[in-house]
Amino acid sequence: MQRGLAKITPGVVLGLFMTKTIAIVEDDPDQRANYADAITAKGYDVTEYDNRETALSGFERQLPDLVILDIVLGNEVDAGFQLCRDLLSRAPSLPVIFLTERIDEIDKISGLRLGAWDYLPKPISLDYLAERISSLLRIDEVRTTNQGNSSDRSRQIGDLDLNQDALLVSWKKQRINLSGTEFRMLAKLVRRPGHAVSYEMLMDATMQSFVTNNTINTHMRNIRKKFQAVDPQFACIKSEYGFGYRWSVT
Amino acid sequence: MKIGSRFRGPRLRTKLLLLALGVLALPYLSYLQLAEMERLLIQGQSNAQLLTAEGISTLFNDRQDLFNDLPVSLEDYETLFAHPIESPVRLDGGIEDWGEVETRMQRFGAEDGEVRDGSFSLVLGERGGYLYGFMTILDDLRIYREPSSLRLDNADHVRLSFIRTDGDEGRATITLPRPGVTTAYRMQEDWRYAETGAPAKQIQGYVTETGTGYDVEFRLPLSLLGSRRYFGVAFADVDAETGEMRSLTQTLPTAGKESFNLVILRSPELLNIIEGLGYSGSRILIIDPERRVRAETGSHTIAGEPRDESDWVYKIGEWIRRFSSTVPEAGTVEEVIDASLEGGPIALPRVLENGVEIITAAYPIVSEDAVLGTVLVEQNMDEILAFQYQAIERVMLVSALILLFVFLALFAFSARLAWRIRNLRREAAAAIDEYGRLRTLSLKAERGAGDEIGDLSRSVSNVLTRLHQHNTFLENMPRTLRHEINNPLNTLSTSLQHLEHESPSGASKYLASAKRGVMLIGSIVQNLADAANLEESLQAEELEVIDMQQFLERYVGNLKATQKHREIVFRGVSHPLLARIADFRVEQLLDKIIDNAVDFHHAGSPIKVQLDDYGDSLQITVANRGPVLPTADGQSLFESMVSHRGPQSRLHFGLGLYVVRVIAEYHGGSVRAANLADGSGVAIMVRLPLVSSVAANEELRAARSS
Repeated sequence: MQRGLAKITPGVVLGLFMTKTIAIVEDDPDQRANYADAITAKGYDVTEYDNRETALSGFERQLPDLVILDIVLGNEVDAGFQLCRDLLSRAPSLPVIFLTERIDEIDKISGLRLGAWDYLPKPISLDYLAERISSLLRIDEVRTTNQGNSSDRSRQIGDLDLNQDALLVSWKKQRINLSGTEFRMLAKLVRRPGHAVSYEMLMDATMQSFVTNNTINTHMRNIRKKFQAVDPQFACIKSEYGFGYRWSVT
Repeated sequence: MKIGSRFRGPRLRTKLLLLALGVLALPYLSYLQLAEMERLLIQGQSNAQLLTAEGISTLFNDRQDLFNDLPVSLEDYETLFAHPIESPVRLDGGIEDWGEVETRMQRFGAEDGEVRDGSFSLVLGERGGYLYGFMTILDDLRIYREPSSLRLDNADHVRLSFIRTDGDEGRATITLPRPGVTTAYRMQEDWRYAETGAPAKQIQGYVTETGTGYDVEFRLPLSLLGSRRYFGVAFADVDAETGEMRSLTQTLPTAGKESFNLVILRSPELLNIIEGLGYSGSRILIIDPERRVRAETGSHTIAGEPRDESDWVYKIGEWIRRFSSTVPEAGTVEEVIDASLEGGPIALPRVLENGVEIITAAYPIVSEDAVLGTVLVEQNMDEILAFQYQAIERVMLVSALILLFVFLALFAFSARLAWRIRNLRREAAAAIDEYGRLRTLSLKAERGAGDEIGDLSRSVSNVLTRLHQHNTFLENMPRTLRHEINNPLNTLSTSLQHLEHESPSGASKYLASAKRGVMLIGSIVQNLADAANLEESLQAEELEVIDMQQFLERYVGNLKATQKHREIVFRGVSHPLLARIADFRVEQLLDKIIDNAVDFHHAGSPIKVQLDDYGDSLQITVANRGPVLPTADGQSLFESMVSHRGPQSRLHFGLGLYVVRVIAEYHGGSVRAANLADGSGVAIMVRLPLVSSVAANEELRAARSS
């Protein structure tokens, strides 16, 4: 219970190195320790919480730079969602990652709809987790410090604007909110416009462990829907049945 | 659920109708009751008649004078009894119109029971102030009177002797001139010549020939006789042409008796007494110890409508009575009279020759120790019978109505019962589909019924609900399992990753295999959960109209491009085939079938994909050469967890074809597997409904305009 404040790294105390603080809310001590070790090894400060109350009180004292949330905490089946809502109401731009065993589509949609930056299913690759964290922190940094300033890593394909660093996507100048996974899949898809991209390559893009064609299809459909929400005529994402997808530039 | 191919006993309706036959016992019970009632009624009527007889008899007790209305002792005389004749009598030489009297003939001239020539039988009757006589004479040689002869005794003739009113002796001869009307003469004392030449016209007669002699019927006015009614009859038999009389047979008394018979008539005094006692349908007779009717009043016959014998009720009644008439093997009237003359009152039912059933009750009339006679009360049972027939009619009518009603009611009831049970069975059978999935949680049929069928329905619903709970538990199992297993899996996986970082390179071999194991568990759980979630996630799919020809062409094209080492052949149709589908799902379906075909095909043999147009549906056939199906499993292939791969294969749960079926059925289609006709392989056929081009165009237009 009191482990929330147990790990206060020198970075926080000194405040000189601008060490980023990552909060982990996870009720299983083993997994939490594994995450913490991996993240600490990458040079971040880690605060650990094992339930919603301690997490909330901790957040009230100090907001971390990034939060990793499990959804089911103890007996509360959607404590993670509640925490996410609370956090984002306080700091709307705070990067939140769901890292959960609840990988049903409906949960994923709810999580992303709440404003989470990414929704990662268990089991997770620790390297990938670290990479995600650093990537999101970098994006956050870019967004906060570099707003409006188009960086070099920005691409333009027809009406599509893609900012690799800020994970920002625009279609016909309209901002489209994609999750991290969706962004990566889209980025993969448009690398060579007009060429089909196989399911296998798209699976790699998700960087998740167990991905089926079905998962890819679901992601693609969500991406398509998000585009269609701003442009009903959008039809650039084509299915290559039996193979994968293609970004058509007609 | 085919029932009835083998006989397992009668259906419910038959059973109920058989039971209903029990109602047939109803008329039988009524019949028994009727028979008993008849017995009681007969008993009652017998008692009533006996009481009547007793009552009447008390009137005559100690009244010898009424019986002996003659100032002489009967013992001194041989009496001739003049029986009352009920119907008018014609003098025609026949006795048919005399009624019952016929049987009371007395024989004269017989010695020791031996009948000799010249003997005769005689009966006397009385009606309307006349004394009638009928003689049956035995005569082997008939000699008729010669009309010219003055002597009347030289031919066969009948002599009558009597005491006249004036006290003198009277004699008369009935001559027999020829068959037909006779002539009588008063005779002189020697019986040879007539007193006067004129015939005695008061004495009329008629003679007929019989095979054995004559029948002579005659009458004379009672007024001819004196008050004492001394009377005698004799037959003079003449056999020779000479006119010599061979024998004289007479009723006259033998030695020691008076020389005349005494004619005894019904007693007017007795008659006067009983006349007022008669009642409808009854006949009262006073009979003396010599069994002669001394007085009589009333009649059996009931005034009123005669029974209609063609009436069906009557016929059925007769038929029933024939089986079970409670009228005992009735005695004769003689038995009754004998019994009562011996001093015992008696009542017996009996049947007359004309079929009329009557009850005869007799009660003796006593005087000191002697029996003076008996009172006979006869009454027919028409009233009882009429009552009985009425009852039979009612019983039959009511029975028939009840029977009809009960049969109808039972029929309706059983039909309804069978209908209800059939409905229930149909719904119960339909509650679970061919794959064993629940379609409904509660039966609607009979849910509200309060009887056992309702109970059955409710308990089946109950069973279904519980089954559903269990099924839900089972269906959720993979998902729950995945949720539960993902956490430890994650621990395992992340721990392994840490180990990998820390450990020396020598251990990496084991680390790698441990990671593969973790991966395998992860994919197993993932696959299971995907299949379990399939039906639910299908509901979220959006359908669009797609040209399946184009779809398949591109799909197989992509397949060929990615699997260059395999030969995949596509044969489609030349025109668009529009179907409303969720394209990813149909893609998934095709993936599974192709995977299946690839797994089973002989290496190097082509996999054929074919699209056919069946008018309102299309069929996608994927065929491969390879091991054939065990025939019985054509459909079970498509069930969850059924696999025909050997035990050595890995990562197969028989989920692939289950997914195919669920997706096909979601699209309103079907799937089946069959061996190829030549036995060289297996084909899996998916049917999907087509969209009519009109509907499809409208949909496209609507989609464009929105």
